[in-house]
Amino acid sequence: MSTILNPLYYAVSWVIVTFHSILGFLVGKNSHESFKWSASIIGLVVLIRIILIPLFVKQIKSQRALTALQPKMKEIQKRYKDDRQKQSEEMMKLYREHKTNPLASCFPILAQAPIFFALFTVLNGIAKNHPHGLLKGAHLISAQQAKFFGANLSSSFLSTHTDTQTKIVTVLLILFMSATTFTTQRQLMVKGMPKMDASNNMMLQQQKIMLYVFPVIFAVSGVNFPVGVLIYWSTTNLWTLGQQFYVIKRNPTPGSPAYEELQAKRAAKGLTNPPAASAGSTEISDSANNGANKESGENGSATRQRQQPKKKKKK
Amino acid sequence: MKKLITAPIKFYQKWISPSFAPKCKYYPSCSQYAVDAISEYGFKGIALSIWRLVRCNPWSHGGVDYVKPRSDLKTQFNESHKNHKNLAGVTK
Repeated sequence: MSTILNPLYYAVSWVIVTFHSILGFLVGKNSHESFKWSASIIGLVVLIRIILIPLFVKQIKSQRALTALQPKMKEIQKRYKDDRQKQSEEMMKLYREHKTNPLASCFPILAQAPIFFALFTVLNGIAKNHPHGLLKGAHLISAQQAKFFGANLSSSFLSTHTDTQTKIVTVLLILFMSATTFTTQRQLMVKGMPKMDASNNMMLQQQKIMLYVFPVIFAVSGVNFPVGVLIYWSTTNLWTLGQQFYVIKRNPTPGSPAYEELQAKRAAKGLTNPPAASAGSTEISDSANNGANKESGENGSATRQRQQPKKKKKK
Repeated sequence: MKKLITAPIKFYQKWISPSFAPKCKYYPSCSQYAVDAISEYGFKGIALSIWRLVRCNPWSHGGVDYVKPRSDLKTQFNESHKNHKNLAGVTK
């Protein structure tokens, strides 16, 4: 197991050590060690999320292409009103047919788990004087003393010899993580998701219960994690919140309350309404395209999908 | 044993997944696929689930993708086997 994860320990510790030395140039080579180590962990999050931005842009683009499919989506929703399973099955078929899929996909989220685990091991190693990757020697000694608002980066609530300051900071970070997750979920539920029919209301109700499950999960795991891992987790949550806020404001999912709000705002400003206009016209062009697709096969719809975002930019 | 492996996935489905925006590009979702695959194939199902997760990436188009029932594979195999025999018989 460690041979598989060893490269990851090196990668994670390399990023942290590199950020640490870059910050050394900015704030002084041998001072502000606590700030430098904390900021390096935040830097790791920022770097990972920046690398993931292209994927996120790709998703937004396919979400925009979805406006063209809206009439068909509504038809599916109507036809399988009482069977949510069938509804999502048909929806996936539709996406596949048109070679567009607005969903983010599962793999990137799971791929982040080993990084999280590597950071956990590296930070735990600092506390246990067990170096991993490049965090060794002088770096290890310096990191061992680093604090975040007075709490040792490498100690956790439940570890032995934990001072009160660390406990207070841990609790505050757990509260912060819960608050950011809560806000993210609430925003998504209230504004970000398409309005649903009666059968989906049940799920909405269920989601409301879920809002209280996360603080418990954070609390149980948070007391076992070193403060540095909690900083990583908090920063990721904050980034997710900001990113979702941006999407809901600027690129809401078609059919969601935020989408309608944006439409109304655009209409009020007297702007031409690009999504609505294209949605209206595609009903005709869609059927025409379907005819063409039967002849040209899948290639026809593939080129059509690729051209769609470009068309909108011109407008 | 199968139940032990699928229990955390079911916990995820019930308590964690509903509070996030749906992300899976496939139907059934990757987690449901994993539950189905493991209850159908046991340990081999874990490999199938990992392969499905890898396929559920930003460049895939997703779609409908069920776990193939074991009996299907068997009959398929048997049929192809028979056909093979028949063909062999023909060539003889």
